[in-house]
Amino acid sequence: MAAINWQVATVDAIRDETAQVKSFRFDVPAWPGHRPGQHLDLRLTAEDGYQAQRSYSIASAPTSNGAVEITVERVRDGEVSPFMHDIVEVGDRLELRGPVGGYFVWDGSMPDPLLLVAGGSGIVPLMAMVRHRATIANAPPTTLLYSSRTDDDVIYRAELDRLAADSGGLRVVHTLTRSQPPGWTGYARRVDHQMLADVVGASADTLQVFVCGPTPLVESVAQNLVDLGLPPSRVRTERFGPSGA
Amino acid sequence: MTTPDQLADYDATDRLTLDANAVAGLLQEIFGSEMTVVTSQCAHCGNQAEVGTLRAYVGPAVVLRCSVCTGIVARIAVMPDGRHRIDMRGAAFLSL
Amino acid sequence: MTDRFVTRGFVGRREAGGTDTRGRIPPGQYITRDFPVLSAGPTPHTPLDRWTFTLDGLVSGPVSWSWPEFTALPSRDFVVDISCVTKWTKLDSRWHGVAVDTLLESVDLDPSAAFAVAYSDGGYTTNLPIPDLLNGQAFVAWEYDGAPLAPEHGGPARLVVPHLYFWKSAKWVRGIRLVERDEPGFWESLGYHNRGDYWKEQRYSGD
Repeated sequence: MAAINWQVATVDAIRDETAQVKSFRFDVPAWPGHRPGQHLDLRLTAEDGYQAQRSYSIASAPTSNGAVEITVERVRDGEVSPFMHDIVEVGDRLELRGPVGGYFVWDGSMPDPLLLVAGGSGIVPLMAMVRHRATIANAPPTTLLYSSRTDDDVIYRAELDRLAADSGGLRVVHTLTRSQPPGWTGYARRVDHQMLADVVGASADTLQVFVCGPTPLVESVAQNLVDLGLPPSRVRTERFGPSGA
Repeated sequence: MTTPDQLADYDATDRLTLDANAVAGLLQEIFGSEMTVVTSQCAHCGNQAEVGTLRAYVGPAVVLRCSVCTGIVARIAVMPDGRHRIDMRGAAFLSL
Repeated sequence: MTDRFVTRGFVGRREAGGTDTRGRIPPGQYITRDFPVLSAGPTPHTPLDRWTFTLDGLVSGPVSWSWPEFTALPSRDFVVDISCVTKWTKLDSRWHGVAVDTLLESVDLDPSAAFAVAYSDGGYTTNLPIPDLLNGQAFVAWEYDGAPLAPEHGGPARLVVPHLYFWKSAKWVRGIRLVERDEPGFWESLGYHNRGDYWKEQRYSGD
């Protein structure tokens, strides 16, 4: 595999996902294709040479036409995400390299039932997996456990509802940790041992698991899953650090 | 994305812990190929695992630590001229 | 020479020097009002009833203080500018602790002692010439901004050497060893400068 190089991509679409989250689609001239779960590195350079670099999970399923999408949460005191949200326009050119990351990947070649656990913007790489899953035949049964603060913070809400209703074997379980809409009957607390026991059910020794989100959530979920009897080698984690963007 | 309630039990330094997968781009830049699925052995405790499972701390440079014993497996600094300084004494072997 | 790609509209989270900062921003640095947290590993948590601070190495006799003894030493407030090699500078940071000069009054330095190695819980070390620790230039702090020093910032106590890049200000410090020859510490052994004077931009060895 050749060393990856920085290349210049053009923003060809920007979409609001929630009040604080936007998706950016790039037209990348020399994109080699990617696998669900991989990310790309973005590099920003100011006029005086100052540079900042961030990694963003790729949200889109693999595609052969060179279009790649990332989803970015605007972090209030962040350096890069406010720039992405407030300054970047369709037509702007940005430097990126990728795809990178081979460890946190599900490309459909693992036959085991899937458990995907997302905290906040940790949904992004898992959404690439879910989107890819919808395009392949004989996809394994998949549960997505998705923790958000409020209903308004749920990213890709409508698309997830649609995919879950398509009877393609995808089950989406939400938990809203800060406030819930009237009539909410779902989980209303942080992901904990009991909640994981509920979604794991009797499948502890057959599941392949991917967990992504803020570091504290990932560590807590991974530990609870191991306590439930899952082999650590079947639990892949992607810690986002203190913030996802 | 963080909420105060999720972070109550962790202080900021532990929140900074990443998986080595997060520095996959840097590793590929250095080694010329995807490294996160390569197996390394921790020289301190002998644990063998994919590089992607190592814990990464990104400060002035990158420190990769064993997920079992927290011993340092590798340290990587990027110099201003773009060259890298790599200390891999904490990795007993790397099967490629 | 290749043209560097410039990203339209990107400035970064930086402040130009404001009022009264002329001359206070070292070369290549940017002002921040935050206090960024960087680390090389997980946070150590040493219970205070097992915490000690030690001066050893080329001294007449090693000295150790317990936490109550250490925090009872003559201490004072320090207001200093600090600069990190990752390019942020913070002006007027407020600390409380004991000057290294005060600690050194408890030992007799061997005439051959020329350098120091500060060592910390978690295995971190950093080296610097002894003169950089003297004459009020360095202290060990247990309070920051009027409150006990948080673990993420090096609490219960950290070394602070404000005139050098902040990696010299070892978090979770447990002692200083006086030695004859310079011994590169954690970052120095990976190519960072043995002294780290930020006015001379001594970031990497050879600078």
